[in-house]
Amino acid sequence: MTMKRILSVLGFLSVFFLVSCNKEEQSVAPTIDNEALTTATLQLTNKANPTEVVTATVDGLNGTVDFSKDTLRLKANASYSGVILLLDKTSSPVADVSAEIKERQNIHLFVYTPASGLNMAVTITDKDTNPAPGPYPVGLTYDVRTGAASTGKLHVVLRHQPNTKDGTATPGSSDLDTNFDVVIQ
Amino acid sequence: MWWYSFISTAQTQPVCRYHLQGLVQRTDGLPIPEASIWIEEIHRNIQTDSTGHFTCTDLCQGIYTLRCQFMGYQPVIRKVIIPFSSLLSIQMVSQATDLKAVTIIQHRYEGQQLLQVQAELSGQGMDESRGQSLGESLKALTGMYSIQTGPSISKPVIHGLHSNRILILTNGVRQEGQQWGSEHAPEIDAFLASQITVIKGAASIRYGSDAIGGVILLEPKNMPTQPGIGGEAYVAGASNGRMGVVSGMLEGVPSRWIQGLSWRIQGTLKKSGYIQTPRYYLENTSYQERNFSGDVHYDRKNAGLEVFYSRFATKIGLFTEAQIGSLSDLYAAIHRSEPLVQPRFSYELNRPYQDIQHDLVKLRTYVRSERLGTFTATLARQQNLRQEYDYVSFSGSLNPELYLKLITHTADLIWEKSKNATSGQWSSTAGFTGFTQGNVRKYLFLIPNFRTYTGGVFALERFSRKQWSAEMGLRYDYRWLRAYFLDEPTNTIYYKTHNWSNTNASLGISYQLRPNLDLTTNVSTAWRAPNVAELYSNGLHQSAVAYEHGNANLRPEQAYNASIALHYSHQSFTAELGLYSNLISNYIYLNPDSLPLVRQRGVFPSYSYNQVRATFKGVDLTFSYAFTTHLSFTSKTSLLYAYDHTNQDYLVFITPNRTDNSITYTLKDWKKMTRTYLKISGLYVARQTRAPTVTSRLENGHFVYTGDFASPPPGYFLFGAEMATTLALAKQSIGIILSGTNLTNVVYRDYLNRFRYFAAEPGRSINLKIKIPF
Repeated sequence: MTMKRILSVLGFLSVFFLVSCNKEEQSVAPTIDNEALTTATLQLTNKANPTEVVTATVDGLNGTVDFSKDTLRLKANASYSGVILLLDKTSSPVADVSAEIKERQNIHLFVYTPASGLNMAVTITDKDTNPAPGPYPVGLTYDVRTGAASTGKLHVVLRHQPNTKDGTATPGSSDLDTNFDVVIQ
Repeated sequence: MWWYSFISTAQTQPVCRYHLQGLVQRTDGLPIPEASIWIEEIHRNIQTDSTGHFTCTDLCQGIYTLRCQFMGYQPVIRKVIIPFSSLLSIQMVSQATDLKAVTIIQHRYEGQQLLQVQAELSGQGMDESRGQSLGESLKALTGMYSIQTGPSISKPVIHGLHSNRILILTNGVRQEGQQWGSEHAPEIDAFLASQITVIKGAASIRYGSDAIGGVILLEPKNMPTQPGIGGEAYVAGASNGRMGVVSGMLEGVPSRWIQGLSWRIQGTLKKSGYIQTPRYYLENTSYQERNFSGDVHYDRKNAGLEVFYSRFATKIGLFTEAQIGSLSDLYAAIHRSEPLVQPRFSYELNRPYQDIQHDLVKLRTYVRSERLGTFTATLARQQNLRQEYDYVSFSGSLNPELYLKLITHTADLIWEKSKNATSGQWSSTAGFTGFTQGNVRKYLFLIPNFRTYTGGVFALERFSRKQWSAEMGLRYDYRWLRAYFLDEPTNTIYYKTHNWSNTNASLGISYQLRPNLDLTTNVSTAWRAPNVAELYSNGLHQSAVAYEHGNANLRPEQAYNASIALHYSHQSFTAELGLYSNLISNYIYLNPDSLPLVRQRGVFPSYSYNQVRATFKGVDLTFSYAFTTHLSFTSKTSLLYAYDHTNQDYLVFITPNRTDNSITYTLKDWKKMTRTYLKISGLYVARQTRAPTVTSRLENGHFVYTGDFASPPPGYFLFGAEMATTLALAKQSIGIILSGTNLTNVVYRDYLNRFRYFAAEPGRSINLKIKIPF
């Protein structure tokens, strides 16, 4: 009697166990990167001639990087004002990451480093709202001064520095780390 | 000189200064005071104290017969071999209870049924480890280590193997989480177990494939049998991290209703803040745990049914500064002697963190028959939900980066039968084990969705006669795996299917060379099919700073394991020496690719899974010597030598050699304090010199590393101390343990901590553990 009861309970529960196996794994969710950053564009305007705008773009940053449009062609001994535009093309609509950085400017810093031999100087023109000893530079806008004709790489890094921003590149970790080709002629 | 004279005395006359300590309890764990113990050989009668304990002093070496009696209980006769180092536990059964019903419940601990080298943590050893994670508490055993990810994540390592190469069985159910990840700690509340047994070496025959390195068995206390309600409460705290844990257990047998019914509920709450190294706090290393479980048993004369449910939920903070963007960040971090951010203490827990929930429902039933043996069927469903939240920089996203839901259904049917024949004792075990698993991922891709079906049949036969015991086993396994992928441009789902099968065997022999010298030897094979991460991972493993590529062409790992253990016990000296050799062909590991990978955050090293022929050879040595009845010395040493024969190089992340030595001074019982002792211990962990050579260079403006990111850290010595006593207050015997770890506040780093590149190990901690049975 007892045996029968145990076996019937067991039988019932094993059916329950088998039924509860579903096929959820067969519908595959797309890959979503909360922090994808696919495209970085430098856009420079000649201060002497505001209709002269040069751009360079590095695309496909979250996968196979496309450097085909990454060359910035600048005039020698000229002065430009620049902006950096960052996009996330994996989200729909395309997300404007530079606007998100602007909102979180107190924890971010762009670092522009021209390679040695490349005659250009980059000066960040915007400031965050960090309290003293801040404010510190952000780098969404900057000025570029070119020298004599030369070529080389411009290294662009976006540092994420939560609670540690001190105006230097040292603290934090990199959100973006890429290179643009620069030709000064 | 003193040493010499001591030995010569010991040799010339029998030493009669051993003592035997014991505890007499009811089957529900409550102590029995004033029970009488009659020792036949020396005609001595002793009585248990108010806490059920007794001590018999001035015993000679030899075998004694103890007859334990108490009104209303069935007398118990026990043979004891002196010296007997641990506490003798005697359970007395009420005369009102059906004797047969009781024999069913008094199950032997599962691991004892296997003729293999094993170690266990129980009794006082278990109490000493209360409040620690499973990985940390098992470090007390020789041959064991742990692989860590910061101070809050710890995974057990047996003889240099971990993760998917060891099996963990909680309460008889194979623990299934995302155990392939070295930063994925076992989702287990260690308070559930009253005994943890570690089977060192391949034990696939009984427990299934994957057990190439060994098996960890967590077993709870036996269910109560006497009507009434009892329980246990644990309170523990640690100064480092200002950690606090409370765990309570309540159990009982209803006095009316159905006979044979028993129940238990249990729960644990744990919280810790930032861990402190000798010089600074580690930001965001807080963690929390909330676990509970319930168990109901219904035991009849020859059959029984058991339903068990448990939930394990944890939220673990990861050290913020180990979350780096790219190789150049890693390079900078390695070359800093201390973290840049050194916050004040806090219980705050922010991104990056892991949020894990593990639910288990188990149903077990058994039927016994004198003629046919015992049949046990176990069904279990486990759901493991793992969500990992990385640092978010600009998106402000509240979603996790990684979401993995793994549902496992296991079914086991085991048959056991023992027979006493004139030729000797035979015991047979045979069974079927099977499981199916479904995995669902969301957000970032690291491993695909998949479904597996696994089935195995095994048979084990053991024969014992006089000083000999032999055990032979055979097992066949089949595994089917299908991984599902999404082709995003066309939005179509496609899959890839694998199947594997394998036959394995084992042979174990135990021989008693002399009454005080045993030899156990075991030769076994084991296999492991590649897991889905090894086959198909394709993504950035942020916490490992690596881009990992799976290899769909991997073949199963095959292990050939041999071990030998000698156990010697003579007068006040006991020793166990274990030697092992594990040859693994097709050993799967991550091989660095020649070119790093460029992504938005910069450059990452790229790795692909590859296979080599590897050996793991080692020595485990434990010995203890009692200078007097009060003073004893215990030493535990583990040595391991691993080698990659294919590349003729060392393997990365292999357990360094270590030795742990302690001196214990046991005090005489004083007033209400019993079993009082003081212990000082010293742990020495050597530098791992057998590791691949580390090089780093700058190539095209990128850092390129070979071997590892940094050389193994230097060896270290840690000093610890412990004081413990049992207080008899009213009817309770309260166990108190006060201990200190890393007392000299040494700054050190451990080779098997994946965060060793970023920060030092925890500094001094004072810990208090209180156990209150009621």
